[in-house]
Order: sequence, then C-alpha cells, then structure tokens
Amino acid sequence: MKVRIKLFATLREKYGKKELAVDAEDFRDVFYKASEVLGKEFLKEVFQNRELKEFRDDRIITINGRNIKDIKDEIRIKEGDVIAVFPPVAGG
Amino acid sequence: MKGYTGKTLFVNLSDGTVKTRPTDMEIARKYLGGKGYAVRLLYDYLIDYEKKGIAARDINPLGEENVLIFATGPATGIVGFPESGRYHVMALRSPLTGSIASANSGGRWGPFLKFAGFDAIIIEGKSEEPVYLEVLDGTAEIRCAKDIWGKNVFETEKILKKRAGRRCSVACIGPAGENQVLFACIMNDEHRAAGRTGVGAIMGSKKLKAIVVGGDSRPEVAKPDEFEEVSKEAINKIRNNPVTGEGLPKYGTAILVNIINNAGILPYKNWQTGYNDKADEISGETLAEKYLTKNRACWGCQIGCGRVTAVKEGCFQILYSEGPEYESIWALGNTTGVMQLDAIIKANHLCDELGLDTISMGSTIAAAMELREKGYIPDEVLEGLDLRFGNATVLVELIWRTAYKAGFGRYLALGSKRLAEIFGAPDLSMSVKGLELPAYDPRGAKGIGLTYATANRGGCHVTGYTISPEILGLPEKIDPLTIEGKAKWVKAFQDFTCVVNSAVNCLFTTFALGAEDYAALLSPVTGWDMSAEDLMKIGERIYNLERVIISKYGFDGKDDSLPKRLLTEPMPEGAARGHVVELEKMKEEYYKLRGWVNGVPTEEKLKELEIP
Repeated sequence: MKVRIKLFATLREKYGKKELAVDAEDFRDVFYKASEVLGKEFLKEVFQNRELKEFRDDRIITINGRNIKDIKDEIRIKEGDVIAVFPPVAGG
Repeated sequence: MKGYTGKTLFVNLSDGTVKTRPTDMEIARKYLGGKGYAVRLLYDYLIDYEKKGIAARDINPLGEENVLIFATGPATGIVGFPESGRYHVMALRSPLTGSIASANSGGRWGPFLKFAGFDAIIIEGKSEEPVYLEVLDGTAEIRCAKDIWGKNVFETEKILKKRAGRRCSVACIGPAGENQVLFACIMNDEHRAAGRTGVGAIMGSKKLKAIVVGGDSRPEVAKPDEFEEVSKEAINKIRNNPVTGEGLPKYGTAILVNIINNAGILPYKNWQTGYNDKADEISGETLAEKYLTKNRACWGCQIGCGRVTAVKEGCFQILYSEGPEYESIWALGNTTGVMQLDAIIKANHLCDELGLDTISMGSTIAAAMELREKGYIPDEVLEGLDLRFGNATVLVELIWRTAYKAGFGRYLALGSKRLAEIFGAPDLSMSVKGLELPAYDPRGAKGIGLTYATANRGGCHVTGYTISPEILGLPEKIDPLTIEGKAKWVKAFQDFTCVVNSAVNCLFTTFALGAEDYAALLSPVTGWDMSAEDLMKIGERIYNLERVIISKYGFDGKDDSLPKRLLTEPMPEGAARGHVVELEKMKEEYYKLRGWVNGVPTEEKLKELEIP
C-alpha cells in the first residue's frame, strides 16, 4: 500500500526531507521502507531498543493525525494514509 | 522575608500620591506573590468598595475605581531560579470581558522592578493629564508624559530609557492603549507583552503611559547553599529535557504549527475547520529557514524561545523584529487565512509597536472576515476594504485602523464579541466570556475546551495547558478525543499554573519541572518549608478566590461555556472529524471536583481553603 511519511522539526533538518512516499506492507514496514531511502539510522529515530520492537516513547508518531499511543487496536494501514513523526516539541 | 523585597508601592493617580508599604508576608505565605498576591489585594479592594456602597457589578473597567496591579513573586529576579524574568499584571475588571483582568509578560521588567526595590506596584485612581511612573533605586515619582503621549511603544521606551539615564526597563502602552482599544496590551522590553484582557486600555484610561523600573538592589535567598544545589539540579533538568533543551530553543513556540495542524485542531478561517493543508508555509520550521536571525531570551532564561526575525525585502519589509510566536502566527495568519509569513511578521511587529494583543487582534479580524463572507457586514461600512480571508494587505491595514479607531477599525477595537453582536451574528465570535480563544480547537482536544470554558479571565489556554498531555504527551499521553478524566487534569493544571504565575516565572519550565521541583526551589528561597501539596493548595486557593471575585460581577455556570460552533458543529475533517465538545458532562465532573455549585465555590470550599 502506498502511504506518505512526513518528518518535522529536527528530523526534517537531519534527513533533508519533508516527506516521502513508500509502498509498505504494514505499519512497521512503513518505517523500514523509509529507512531504505533515509538510511538505517532512521529506524533509531522511531524504535527504542536494539531489537527495534517498541516505538520510542519520546517520539510523537501519528497516523492520519491520531497519535499511535491513543490507538488501542492493532494499527492497520490503507492506501493514502499519512504517517507523521515528530521529535519532542512543545510551546504555548 | 527572603525572596521578597518586602516593599509594595501604592500609587494614586487621582491625588498624585505615592506611598511605600510593607509587603504583607501573611498574604505572601498564603498566596505566594505575583498573581496570587494581586488577586488577594483585589479582593480587599472589592470588599472596601462594597462597604462604601459601590457594588462590584458597577465598577467601570475604564473608570477611576479600577485598580491595576503589577506584581512579581519570590522567584522573580533570583539568579539561578529557572526562567524567573517575568511579572504578572492584574486589574479588578477587564474592559474587554467585564471579568477579572490578568496578563503575564517576560523580558526583564519583572526582575528590574525587584532590583528597584519593590515586589509590586498598585495603581489606583486616574490622572487628568498623561503621566508616567519612574521607579528607580527605591524611590518613585509620577512624571509628566504629555510629550510622549501618542508615541509608539518603541519610541516611548527609547525616550524614557534615555531620560532615566541608567540601566532600566520600561513597560508602556502604545496608541492602542491610549485610545482604549479594548484588547490593548502592555508592552515591555520592546516586544514582550502582557497581552490579554485589555490591561493596556486600563493604563490608557488612567492616562498612565509607562512605568520605568531599575535599581541596584538584589533580592536575597534564605538558604543560599541549599538553593544552589536545587537550582543546579533544576537547570540541568531544563537543559537536558528535549523540549526545553532543544525543541523550544531551536524553533521557538512556532514549532507547534505543524503538530497542532496534524492533529486537526489548528483553527482555520475563524474556526470553520481545524486542518489547513498549507499550514507548513507558516510553520516554525519555515520561520527558522527563511526569517530567523537569532534567539533572544528573557532575563535569567536557559530556554531562549524568543525569535529575532527579519523580512529583508518586499512590501512587508521589516529589518528587525521579534517573534512571531505560535499564537501570533496562528491568530494573524491561519485564522485570517493569510498564509504569508512575511505579512504575519509585519502584522505582529505592528501589534507590538502599537500595543495590541495579537490573539484578540487576529481573531477579531477573522470574525470580521467571516461576517463579511456570510453577508452580515454591508459594503458602506467597509469603505472599500476587501475583507476577504487571506488578504494580507487588509490584515496589515486593519491593525493600523484598529489602534487609531479609524473607519472600520472602530468596530474591531471593540473585540470580536461586540463586533459580532453589532452585525447580528454573535455566534461568529470565537470567544469565552468575551476573550478571544487561542490556537487549539477543543473539538479535537476536549480537555482544553473545559479549560477555556472555566478560565476565570475568559477563553484562555495558559491557565490550564492540557494540550500538553492531550497532544504533546507531557507529562504523559492522554487521548484528546475522550472526556474521561479531563476534569481532574484541568483542575490540576489550573492550580499548578496559579503557582507558576505567583512564583512568578515561566510556564515553559513545567515541561521539565513539576510541583516537587517548585517546592524544592521555593523553600530555600523563602525559608519556608513548602511541599508540593502545600503549593497545589496555594494554587487552588488562588483559583477559587479569583472565582469568588468574578462571581461578584455576575459570572456563574452559564458563562462557563464555549462558542456554539464548538458545541454543535462537528469538525468537518482531519483526526477530529465528526467531533464536538461534550462540555456539560466534563463541567459536571469538574464542578464536583472543585466543590463548586453552578460555577461558584461553596462556603465549605472557601472555609477549607481559608479564603476570607
């Protein structure tokens, strides 16, 4: 499925891209496919441990604007979904 | 008495007297300082007025009887107390809302007031002629301001600093305050604003152009060794925190534009929707890439979220400006549909120069644009202005006209509530208690809806910033689209924010520091042994006393509401699509937690909090 992944703040600066389109099999695969373009290091931006199983707690990762921490069920992707990754940000 | 200067200045502009009285340490113990101290003094003024036969409801916000207070707290101006460069302004009544007036500003004016030897300045009465107050090295003098009346904020500061002849800081009003635009603000240190609730109009009504402060005195700390240790620890927490140590210094508050838009709650075109596919054009990332020249921190700040910007060419050229921060970008840009950062920077600069609150200014223009779009404003009133969403030139022009109440500007100068009422569509004002809402649509973050509805000063986010847990995941992530448990969060945030505004230091510290950290810092400063629970109780006391005051003006549960659009029109798109705010359910739970009936504290609650 073709989905878009968007990067913000320091991640945008570090990887020199605002967004990219990837063809992924499932939600986790989105980030693996993105790392093929952005480099393996990108996986460490998203996953917290060496086994790359858990998502990093300090990242804000959303699918169609919903934070994945607020989604109770298994996350499924569909054609045209927009995934966004933010480093910790705040303001007021 | 450590942490405080121990002196409070009472200035009566009607009879021209200036008196120094001891800061009341019994009140300070119970209300800390800053906002809390001011709220307590304002309550006493109300009781005195009642004894004299003047009912609270009859107080004219722009009349002689309104009382204006500038207050610092035990944290302000203490070297090593994180982000302690702020001060709080309060007045009995806001001309915009009729509720209590409250605003907070950074820069260095707050610390400089303490260096001048005072914890707070209380302004009573009204001058016949324009005056300014000079408070230098423990003495205060009311001086003639005829020659600077009419000057803008930047000119005023420059002249008064030169006249003072020493290092000082100036808080002043611009033409908007002089002309009593209902949302005029008080500016200090050029681009810092005590922005909300029209405190600048109150200064204007008193013919008080400015207050100059400076001095060589320094507040002392009760237990220096202990304080040094906890101060280092707190500052390390701030420096090592990814938000306060990296995100805010690098991008400023405007970093929020994209994340709030991504969550579908960045109000667009007067809140007709919460998503704008062009928002990135006015984001913090774009600001940093195209217009940022450097950061500018407030006094004693390790974060440095302030932006210095320049628009080098074009019709919106401005070679030095500061900001815009997130709220101003949103209000002057996203909600007016103006997606040009250069125009937003110019508009923001003008608001600072003329002394206008950017949130209320932008939101009032956006309301006018929707009123026009829907046919409520006739052509003849507009005198040729093309009042369409997205018109950058009109945005800038209307700021001038508002400050000078010229042409259509005389309607805008009244704020969005009165504007929408005059033109027959009151529901198009996106305000609570008459105060224009800030940049988060609560249909997609329900907790902030409850904050807006129950904020004592009116539609406000910084009295209980639940966007932090709902969207940013700090200190923990909670679902923005549910209402369960939100009342508890809102109450806790409102109480804690009262502590911060009474300490007085910057709210942004709370991304890294909690109530325990505040207790650890404030105890050695004051010499009082305070726990986190003690501080939260102080915060609750302040919030409740403020509520008692506004209830005397006639505010109650009916006023703890939201614009109809947010309660009945489902969000049309984005992550919050289909959602409205289920306010009444949250309010019921909130009132129960607060110990309020119909939005007013019960006798039992007041007794429990030792409120007179």
